[in-house]
Amino acid sequence: MSYIDILKEAEDQVTPGMSACQGCGGELILRTVLKIAGKNTIVGIPPGCMAGAGVVGWNYANGLKIPVHIPLLDNTASFLTGLSQMYERKGRGEVNMIGIAGDGATADCGFQSLSAAAERNEKMLYVCYDNEGYMNTGYQRSSTTTKGSRTSTTPIGAVINGKQQQQKYLPLIMSMHGLTYCATASPSHMADFVKKVEKGLAASKKGFAYLHVFSPCPTGWAYSPEKAIEVARNAVRSNMFPLWEMDEDGYHMNVRNKTPISVKEFIQGIGKFKNLTEEDINSIQQIADQRFHILMRLAEQGME
Amino acid sequence: MGKIKVLTGNYSAAEAAALCHPDLIAAYPITPQSSVVEYLAGLVHDGVIDANLVQVESEHSAMSVVQGAAAGGGRVFTATSAQGLALMYEPYFRMSTLRFPMVMALATREMTSPETVWSGQQDAMSVREAGWIQMFCDSNQEIVDMIIQSYMLAEHPEVLLPVNVCYDGFYSSHLTEGVDLPLQEEVDRFLPPPSFHHAVLDPDHPFALDPLTPGPILMKYRKSHLDAMEKALEVIDEVDKKFGDTFGRYYGGAVSQYRTEDADVVIVTIGGMTGTGMDAVDQAREEGIKAGLLKLRFTRPFPAEKIRDALKDKKAFAVIDRSVSFGWSQGPMHMEVKAALADADSRYCHFSAIGGLGGADISIEMMMETIRNLDAHKNEPGERETQWYMVD
Repeated sequence: MSYIDILKEAEDQVTPGMSACQGCGGELILRTVLKIAGKNTIVGIPPGCMAGAGVVGWNYANGLKIPVHIPLLDNTASFLTGLSQMYERKGRGEVNMIGIAGDGATADCGFQSLSAAAERNEKMLYVCYDNEGYMNTGYQRSSTTTKGSRTSTTPIGAVINGKQQQQKYLPLIMSMHGLTYCATASPSHMADFVKKVEKGLAASKKGFAYLHVFSPCPTGWAYSPEKAIEVARNAVRSNMFPLWEMDEDGYHMNVRNKTPISVKEFIQGIGKFKNLTEEDINSIQQIADQRFHILMRLAEQGME
Repeated sequence: MGKIKVLTGNYSAAEAAALCHPDLIAAYPITPQSSVVEYLAGLVHDGVIDANLVQVESEHSAMSVVQGAAAGGGRVFTATSAQGLALMYEPYFRMSTLRFPMVMALATREMTSPETVWSGQQDAMSVREAGWIQMFCDSNQEIVDMIIQSYMLAEHPEVLLPVNVCYDGFYSSHLTEGVDLPLQEEVDRFLPPPSFHHAVLDPDHPFALDPLTPGPILMKYRKSHLDAMEKALEVIDEVDKKFGDTFGRYYGGAVSQYRTEDADVVIVTIGGMTGTGMDAVDQAREEGIKAGLLKLRFTRPFPAEKIRDALKDKKAFAVIDRSVSFGWSQGPMHMEVKAALADADSRYCHFSAIGGLGGADISIEMMMETIRNLDAHKNEPGERETQWYMVD
């Protein structure tokens, strides 16, 4: 079945009233993952944009049609560990255990519990929607924020301009945990994304599956909402966000750019990058090239 | 009649937890608790008990993993001390506010700084507003019995709260005593399997566990939590009686008393210092002082009425704390006993005694000094200066 048919036929698991911003990448990611997962699912969504948009419920109501819990910002993977093991124990290992968390809850304060759950190969699918910052609290810097970005805690100042450090590249770190499945995805490449959610869910019945998804954020990054998918596509086309996966056969590069666009082209029209110097742009380009080179080497290794 | 075994406090806690058929145990080391989870790991790996064992990477995850398993309806167990308790504070608070029943052993230890790994009750005292039921043991037998009793208390449908079974690090955790360990079939007859449903996540009954909750609704949750704490005071007595009727050991519920019937002066103890306190009371009696002892077994919920009753006709009391209340120059339990009495200053001679911090000794002679001091001033109501059990 083509991904279009899959998405057309699957039931949306979000109840009316969800209040994400226009053009939110996180919302699209959440709806897509839960559509594919279906009813027999329990989901943990820690504090962040998706929780703030109401999908974890409000007052006495649920925000989803499936059971949901808002774990702590830093314990999604360990909370789901206990739940997943308990379901396995009850003979209900077929229930999907899914975490959907932002980059702060994943790469920063949630990293310790995430890393440990991945190392123990706990049975769950963990999806990070990476919008490169703490968007729900007003866009503060995280470890996945791209260098030079203007954020609330890395403002453009008279002396210091934006974030001073390069981004931490989490998916590759996750892939070194001995987990069952690890992949990157982008809402601009839906066929690839849908396939990876399906593979991730299947892998989550055997061990830890990790999906790192690019999540463009018009509100925080300062560009028009209708450009969200274009921004996501350019991230892939520029090799800023390569699409790859690691399964039992090793690493695979899923999208190969014959003629990648430059980082300079990718950042065009994105407000948070407005004050980048030529030097900044060159250093980001260098990191993107290096990272892509490493990933290609890993993927080639897998092909031997 | 069970099996007589010689066990440390930590092994006592582990053996008792194993008898309660835990579904999941989270294991992470910290002195002086480590041998609790090591012992349980051995039982799981030898196939003696059928529990899931998760070797987590921190106490924060220890409490988070058991929280997840409780959200799947499981009976869970873990143990910690001091810095570990501090690290798990975030999910610890949430365990009680989600009203998940569980039992956690706490081998009490002084909080750093100065750097220390030794005994003290500052860790337990600093979490008394985190919504857990909190009780203190003074023998390894009591540790065994209270772990088993605490699952019944925690899972009582009108309580549904987690319980900390506390015992003094090293003094109890590492020293051996003869213990009458109940047989599995006896425990199985006493303790039914868990049957709580209120917060269990299940695709067959989808709901949001902990949606965003505004103040007016949140206040109802808090009130109901406090009501459950009040109810627990009754259930503690019920469980104590039921346990005593089955196993022949009664503990008196939230407080217990020693030679208080005709006493003029009373020392109030918490945890492992109680044995020393009883010896001091005996010695004081030989000196002609009408001394008695009141042991605080439960500190949350606080047994205010029982304390009022126990001290009703007495003239003087001192509360011996193995921790401090910063800001009051006193021990926290002295503060709370005073609060329970309301008119302490006009009716009693009383003071706070602080000792045993960071593993320091509490001797019979120190307690004798407290008792003699109380006796000398028993007819002069009012609060006297805090006594520090300094060791030169």
